Amino acid sequence: MQTQGGLVLAAALSVCALQTRLALWEAVLAVAAALLASRRPGWRTPVLLSATWLTAFLELGLGSSDTIGYLDPLLSLAALPTTMAVGIGTGMLMLVLALIVGGLHWIQTRPYAWVARQPFLALLLFEISLAGLANQTFMPALARLVLWSFIFSLMPYIWYLPAAITDLRAKGGDPIVTQVGTLRPFWSPAHVPFGKGAAFLRKHLARNPRELAITQLKALKLLLWANILIATRSGLTVIFEEYFRIPSVAGAMDAALNGQANFILLGWFALVLSTTKFSLQIAIWAHLFVGIARLAGYRLPRGCWRPLESRTLIEYFNRFHYYFKELLVDLFFLPTFMRAFRSRPRIRVFFATFMAAGVGNAVWHFMRDLNLVAELGFQSALKSFSSYAFYCLVLAIGISISQVRANAGYRPGNSLYARLFSFCSVWGFVVCLHAFSDGSRDHTLLERLSFIARLFGVSV
Amino acid sequence: MKSTLKDQVTTFLKETLARHGDLGEVQDNESLFLSGRLDSLSMLNLIMFLENNFSMNFAEIDFEVDLVDSIDSIICLIDR
Repeated sequence: MQTQGGLVLAAALSVCALQTRLALWEAVLAVAAALLASRRPGWRTPVLLSATWLTAFLELGLGSSDTIGYLDPLLSLAALPTTMAVGIGTGMLMLVLALIVGGLHWIQTRPYAWVARQPFLALLLFEISLAGLANQTFMPALARLVLWSFIFSLMPYIWYLPAAITDLRAKGGDPIVTQVGTLRPFWSPAHVPFGKGAAFLRKHLARNPRELAITQLKALKLLLWANILIATRSGLTVIFEEYFRIPSVAGAMDAALNGQANFILLGWFALVLSTTKFSLQIAIWAHLFVGIARLAGYRLPRGCWRPLESRTLIEYFNRFHYYFKELLVDLFFLPTFMRAFRSRPRIRVFFATFMAAGVGNAVWHFMRDLNLVAELGFQSALKSFSSYAFYCLVLAIGISISQVRANAGYRPGNSLYARLFSFCSVWGFVVCLHAFSDGSRDHTLLERLSFIARLFGVSV
Repeated sequence: MKSTLKDQVTTFLKETLARHGDLGEVQDNESLFLSGRLDSLSMLNLIMFLENNFSMNFAEIDFEVDLVDSIDSIICLIDR
């Protein structure tokens, strides 16, 4: 890895591995930036900053950003050409960048202001207030369009900025330029911060050439593993969906609700297949994102680590989507745990876990899909979210009970029977609950409840 | 007094590590949570241990994992 030949080989392998999921320009940009940052420590910050924001602006310019898709229906409503989406989106992203830089400077001079001490709450309230205003029908269509495009552009950053602000206030924290370079970093332009933020990245940076070489070899291994998972996922689609005609979860629900023959078998197959494909998807993205970050020299923990080996629900929560769990822990669990029910340990742990796995999970998903409020209106968007809210509630109760039990010293046995029992309990729960969390919003909560009941032979 | 504090914290951490099957030595400045040697559940137990035994109130602290990441940092936090 440290020789020229090794570097070229690593770059070529990485681009090939990434290109199965990313556009060629994105794969080349990510690998070039990662390797440059790792080879030239003095250039790390400028490379991070330029690659991160170049990716964001190129995504918009080339039309592959989510913002473009969110703006298209609003432009049609305002009787404006959809070609304007790129221009509006780019302008709004520039405004967001300027506001972020200005805001971080302001916080540096006023580190004890309420916004600096409660950054997440402040950002969430700000975003919700803007959405409330943009949803008012008395607003002119153009004003609503401008407000929504600002909301969509700012949205992902509300999950990154709290960590940046906390680090900026801390003794020995990174400067603003580094903080801005790690907001939706070039390796993971997502709503979940893979790598958390500048502070976490600083602590996980390879300290010497040996550590860097090991980290980069692990990166290649992870990228190749992601491609094996991509092939597995495609194989499952071809075999089960195209050859055996296993329907989607929504299709299986229709079959069950219409009393179609064999709906129980079809329903279970559909649920297991959909859960498997969803789990593979999470693992694939996590491995690709962490793989690129490791190429850049960050010794990041994996984003999805052997979830099938989870013995309890809390272990599943920790292993399945590590950085999402970390986000919920930082923004919901810890603030609750530090303040609520301090004299009652069991309720304290239960409530804090519930706030993270339930409330935090629901808030994150509702905010991610805020475009539905713009398209359908607040009430319809909330109604279409009821099934996912139910999913969060049941998942949170399960995980909270598991956390309290773990805290009380409960550990599953190590016998083969105990392992099998753990596997069936954890994944049985996850599969059943998937009926309420699958992507489609075509079925109501009652229909989903009826579907699950029918799969267990209970006709409701 | 300080060595008693440190002994109590070290004993608690060694017991926690042992429950995770980690019987290795712990250096005073060694990272425990950021390095992945202990998980978030152990951190909750540590916070409750510090609150119960040293009358600390974490609601009044701008919490960062660094504050409890090593024996040295925990002692500094208790002394604060």
